Amino acid sequence: MTAPTTDKSSRLAINKAGGKMVADYWDRIFTARERGEKVVWYNGSAVNPIFQAAGMAWCHGEAFSARLAAQHLEGPAQLAGQEYGYVGELCSYARTHLGCAVLSRKRATGSANGTGMVGLPEQAELAGRLPTPDLFVNAYAGCSTGQQWDDISFRVFGKEVPIFNVSMPFMWSNRPGEGYMVGEEWERSSRYVAEQLRELTTVLESITGRPFDWDAYRQNMAYLKQASELRQEAMRLCRLTPAPATFWDWIASVAHINFLPASQELVDFFAAVKAEIEQRVADGVGAIADERYRVYFDGFMNWNHLGLLAKKFARYDVAVVAGRYTHHAFWQEPQLIDPEDPLLGHAQNNLLCPMNHSTKTIERLVLRDCDYYGVDGIVFHSTRTCRAFTNPQRLVAKAAQEKRGLATMFFEGDIADASYYKDEVLDSRLTAMLETIDVRRARA
Amino acid sequence: MSHYLGIDLGSTTAKVVVLDGHGDIAAAEVVQMGAVSRAGCARALDAALTTARVRRGEITAAIATGYGRRLVPDVDRTFTEITCHARGVAAMCPGVRLVVDIGGQDSKAILVDSDGIAENFAMNDRCASGTGRFFEVLARAIECDLDELAGLALAGEKQLEVSSMCATFAETELISLLAQGERRTDIAASVHRAVAARTLGLVAQVGRHTPVVMTGGVARNAAAVRALAEALRTEVVVPSSPQITGALGAALLARDGAGARGAGESAVDAREPARSCASCDMSAAHGAGR
Amino acid sequence: MPVGTGSTVGALDALADVAARPEAYAAQWKARTGGRVVGILPMNFPREIAHAAGVLPVLLQESREPDTMGRHLLAEFYCGFTRNLADSAAKGALDYCDGFFVADHCTQLLGAVDVVRAEAPGSPVFLGQLPPSLTDEWARGEARSMMRTFVDEMARFAGVPVGDAALSRSIALSNDNRTLLRELFAARRAGNAALSSPQLQAVVKSGMVMDLAEHTELLRQVIQGLADLPRDNRVRLHLSGHLCHAPRPELLAAIEECGAIVVDDDLFTGTRWFSTDVAEDGDPVEALACWYLERDRTAPCPTRVKHETDWEDTLVEAVEASGAEGVIVLMVRFCEPHMLYYPELRKRLNERGIPHLLLETEHEGLPVETVQTRVEALLERIRRTAPVEVSR
Repeated sequence: MTAPTTDKSSRLAINKAGGKMVADYWDRIFTARERGEKVVWYNGSAVNPIFQAAGMAWCHGEAFSARLAAQHLEGPAQLAGQEYGYVGELCSYARTHLGCAVLSRKRATGSANGTGMVGLPEQAELAGRLPTPDLFVNAYAGCSTGQQWDDISFRVFGKEVPIFNVSMPFMWSNRPGEGYMVGEEWERSSRYVAEQLRELTTVLESITGRPFDWDAYRQNMAYLKQASELRQEAMRLCRLTPAPATFWDWIASVAHINFLPASQELVDFFAAVKAEIEQRVADGVGAIADERYRVYFDGFMNWNHLGLLAKKFARYDVAVVAGRYTHHAFWQEPQLIDPEDPLLGHAQNNLLCPMNHSTKTIERLVLRDCDYYGVDGIVFHSTRTCRAFTNPQRLVAKAAQEKRGLATMFFEGDIADASYYKDEVLDSRLTAMLETIDVRRARA
Repeated sequence: MSHYLGIDLGSTTAKVVVLDGHGDIAAAEVVQMGAVSRAGCARALDAALTTARVRRGEITAAIATGYGRRLVPDVDRTFTEITCHARGVAAMCPGVRLVVDIGGQDSKAILVDSDGIAENFAMNDRCASGTGRFFEVLARAIECDLDELAGLALAGEKQLEVSSMCATFAETELISLLAQGERRTDIAASVHRAVAARTLGLVAQVGRHTPVVMTGGVARNAAAVRALAEALRTEVVVPSSPQITGALGAALLARDGAGARGAGESAVDAREPARSCASCDMSAAHGAGR
Repeated sequence: MPVGTGSTVGALDALADVAARPEAYAAQWKARTGGRVVGILPMNFPREIAHAAGVLPVLLQESREPDTMGRHLLAEFYCGFTRNLADSAAKGALDYCDGFFVADHCTQLLGAVDVVRAEAPGSPVFLGQLPPSLTDEWARGEARSMMRTFVDEMARFAGVPVGDAALSRSIALSNDNRTLLRELFAARRAGNAALSSPQLQAVVKSGMVMDLAEHTELLRQVIQGLADLPRDNRVRLHLSGHLCHAPRPELLAAIEECGAIVVDDDLFTGTRWFSTDVAEDGDPVEALACWYLERDRTAPCPTRVKHETDWEDTLVEAVEASGAEGVIVLMVRFCEPHMLYYPELRKRLNERGIPHLLLETEHEGLPVETVQTRVEALLERIRRTAPVEVSR
C-alpha cells in the first residue's frame, strides 16, 4: 500500500462526539441483561422505533458486523464462523455476525468454544459481549440472504428463541406506471408491510408482557422524521462547490440514523451536523483541501477501510459528494411519515432500501443524484460478498456513460472481509478515471 | 525378505520410500523436478532401490500417491495423498490429530484419527495463497534465495500489513513496501505471518485439534513453522523428514496389505512407529513450536 | 451390459438429446405447433400454469458455452447459473423464449433477470415473488394470491383464458409425469444400477423442457424395457445440493469413475423436481399454493425461510433409506442459501457419523483431478482398510 502522506481530508468535527454516542449505545447493549432488559436481534430494515416503544434493547446484527470491521476486530468472529462451517464467499455481514452468534451461544450454554479456533481473549472482546436474544425479528428488503439470515441465527440458538418474519416484497416494477413510490405494486406492498409491522407489535406485547406503547412509537417516529429532514437538508448542501462534507462523513453517521434511539439528542446531533456544514459553506471551507474532482460512490461501504479510503480520495483531490448507500437508505423519504399515524410511512421507508429496486429504478435514482450533485464520475465498489448491491452496477455504469457522458470505474473490496480489498486496483483505476476526466475537460 | 514401495509423485518433487519386512525405512529419496515428470520419478526410484539394495522385481507391493499418481507405472494401487499423509504422519508421530501440509502448489489440513485414517480434510489447490509458491514470490521481491527466507523472517520485528493473498498483487505490494524503506527482515516476517493466518482458515474447516504436525516442503522453513505455531497458539511438530510422509504412508499401506488385490480388512497398526525416526517422539524439544 | 430393450435405449437417447439441446427442441416444437415458448426461471414457478395456457414452459438451465459477453454484465462472484443466464441473454441465446416468468427471490437471480430484461427488451418478463417465509400465518394467503396473479398474467401472455378445467387437466398430467420419475428413482434406490447419474439427470432435465405428453410417453418406454441390473460393491453415495440447476454430467461421471455409485440425491434435477404432487381435487389455484408450501416440507430447501422443517432430517432419512455410505455435498460456488445452511447439515452428518465431502462447483473449468482426489479420499476413508479398486 502506498505510504500515507499529509491528510488532505477534513472530516466533520461533530463526528467525534457522534462516535461517542455510538460507543455508549453498544455499551448499553452489552449490559442490557444486567438491567433486566429484553433483547431483540434483528437484521435488515429499521424496525427499531417499534422495539424502542416496546421498551426492548435492540441489536442490529449487520450494524455490529460493520462496527467490528471498522474497529479491525472482525477477524476472530469470522474465524469462528469459518470453524462452524461458513464458507468465505458468503456475505461477510452474515458470516461475521453468525460467528458472534456461535460464540455468544457457546458462552451462554457454557460449552467449550469448538476446538478453540478463537482464543478466549478475543471472544471476550467481541461476541461474548453481545447479550443473547429473547427474540429474532427479520425484516429484510432486497436481499434473499438477508431474509434467510435470522432463520439461521435461530437455528444456531437451537430453535429455542422465538422468531418473527416481516416479508418485504421486491420492487420489481413489472408494468409501466410502476416505479419508485408509484404504482399498484408500491401501494399493495406498502400496506402488506404495514400490516406485518402491526402484527409485530402484538408479538412484542407477548414477549414483554406489556401493552404496546403507541404514543411512544408516534413520538419516536416524529423524532426520526425530524432527524432525517435535518440530515437530508445537510446532505443537499453538498451540491455546492467545494463540497462541505463527503460520503465518508455520512458513513460516520449511518449508525445514528439507522439505529440510535429516537430522541431529542438524535435530532440535536443532526442539527449540529447541519450547522457545522452551514458554517463551512459560509466560510468557504471544503471537506477536502483541493477539490478538483467530484464523484458519486455506488456501493456498500467497505467498513474495514474507512480511514484509508477517506484519506486516499482526498489525496487524489477527489470529493466523494454522495452515494447510493448513504443517500437512499435510512428514512430518506421523511415526508411519508405521518406523525399521527406513522405505521404506513414507516413501512414505506423500509421498503425503499437501496437494494430493493429493479435496475431501472436504481439507474434513475443514481443519475438523478449525479445531476443534482454535479459529479464528474462514478466509483463503483464491487463488493465481493454483497451481490444484492452489485446487481445493477454494470448496467448503471453503462447508462451513466451513455446517457450522461460520466466516467466510471470499478474497484474490488468487500463490506466486512478485509482480505477481498485490492488497494492497487483502486489506485490504478482511480488514476485512469481522473485522467479521462482531465482529457474530457481539456477537450470541452 | 519382503520390501514395500511407496511413491509420491507431487507437482514439483518425487519422493520414494522403501520399507523392509520389519517396517524399517531402507531408503528414502527426494528428487526436485521442474514439473511432474516420469523421468524425475524414475530417478528417485532408481536411487531408492540402489540404496535399499533391492531390485524392482523384488518389491512385494507398491502404492503410488500424489498429484501424478496415475502416471507411475507398475504399482498395485493408488491412494490419494490425503490418505497417505495421514497414514505416514500417524506412524512418524503417533497420537497426531491435525496434519498441516504446505507444499509447493497446494496446502491441506487433515484431521487424523487414532488409526491413522483421514477423518476429514480441507484443501486449497485453487490458488497460490498460503502455499510454497507464495514464498517464492517473497524471495523474488526481496531478492534472496528461498533458503535465506527463514533467517530473514526470524530476524523481523516490525509488524507490517500484507493484505494481498493473491500472488500477483502481493509481489507489487511487497516491492512497494521495499520502496517505502521497510526492512527485508520485517517484510519477510510479515509475509510469514500472513501465510500462517491464511492457513488458519484452512484449519478452521476441520477444527483446531491437537497435537499438530506440519509437513510438506514449507515445513523445512523454521520461520513458517513458528508463525503457524503462534497463529494456532499451540506447539507445531515437524518430523525430521517432513517431505517423505506421503511416500512413507504409501509404503506402509502397501505393507498393511492394502496393496494386495482382493484384500479385505487387514490389520492396520498405525500406532507402530516407523523406526527410522527415533528423534520424533512428539516431545517439546522437537520441531519449532513454542 | 445393456440398460434395457431397444425401445428403452432409443427413448433414453431421445431424452438425452433434448436435455443437451433444449433450444433445438423448443424451436422444433414451435415450428410444429405454432405455439409460444415461455422461459421459466427455477425453481418454484408451476409449469402447469403455462401448460394450461397452451404455452411450452422451458425451465432455463446453464448452457455449455463459456461465458463471454455476460462477464461484463454481472461480476465474477455470481453463481455459474446466474452469470451464464446473463451471458445467454446477451448473446441472444434466449431469443427462442417469447417471454419469461420468475417466481423466486434469490438476489443473484434477480440481478440476472434484470440483465435479461435489459438485453432482451422485446420479451416480456414477469416477476411475482412467492412468499419466501413459509411459517407465517399469511404465507398461504399470499401464495394463493400470487398463484392467481401468475394465472392471470399467463393468460394475458398467451392471449387465451386459463380456466380451472384446463388447470386441473394440466395438474393431472404433471402428476402422472412425476409419478413415473419417482418410479425410476425408487428403482435406483432399491438397487437397480441400470441407469447412471448422468443418464438419470438427462431424464429429468428433458422433462423440464419437453411437452408433457411427449415426455411422459418416452418415460413409459424407458421404464417398460429397463433392465434390472444389481449393484456391484462400489461405494454407495448420496448427492446433495445444487438447488436450482444441474451439475455437469461430466462431474457426475467423474464421481462415479472413482469407484462410487450414486444411489440417491436431493438435487434440483433429481428428487426435488418430482418430490411433491399437486392436489387434484378442489380449486386448482389453491392446490398450487398448497403445493408450493407442501413441497418444502417434503424436500426442504434453504432458499425458503421456515422454522419447523429441517433439511438435515430429510437428508439423514434419505441416507438411511437408500443405504448410502456417504454424502457428497455439491455446493454451487457462490450459492448463498446453501452456504448459509451447510453448517447445520454438516453438524448433523458429523453427529451421525456419516462420512461426507463438500465439493464446490463452477460453470467453467471442471478440475477433474482435484475433484477425483477429494472423492477418492472420501471413498478411501469409507473403505477404511479395504482398498479402492481404481481402474487404470
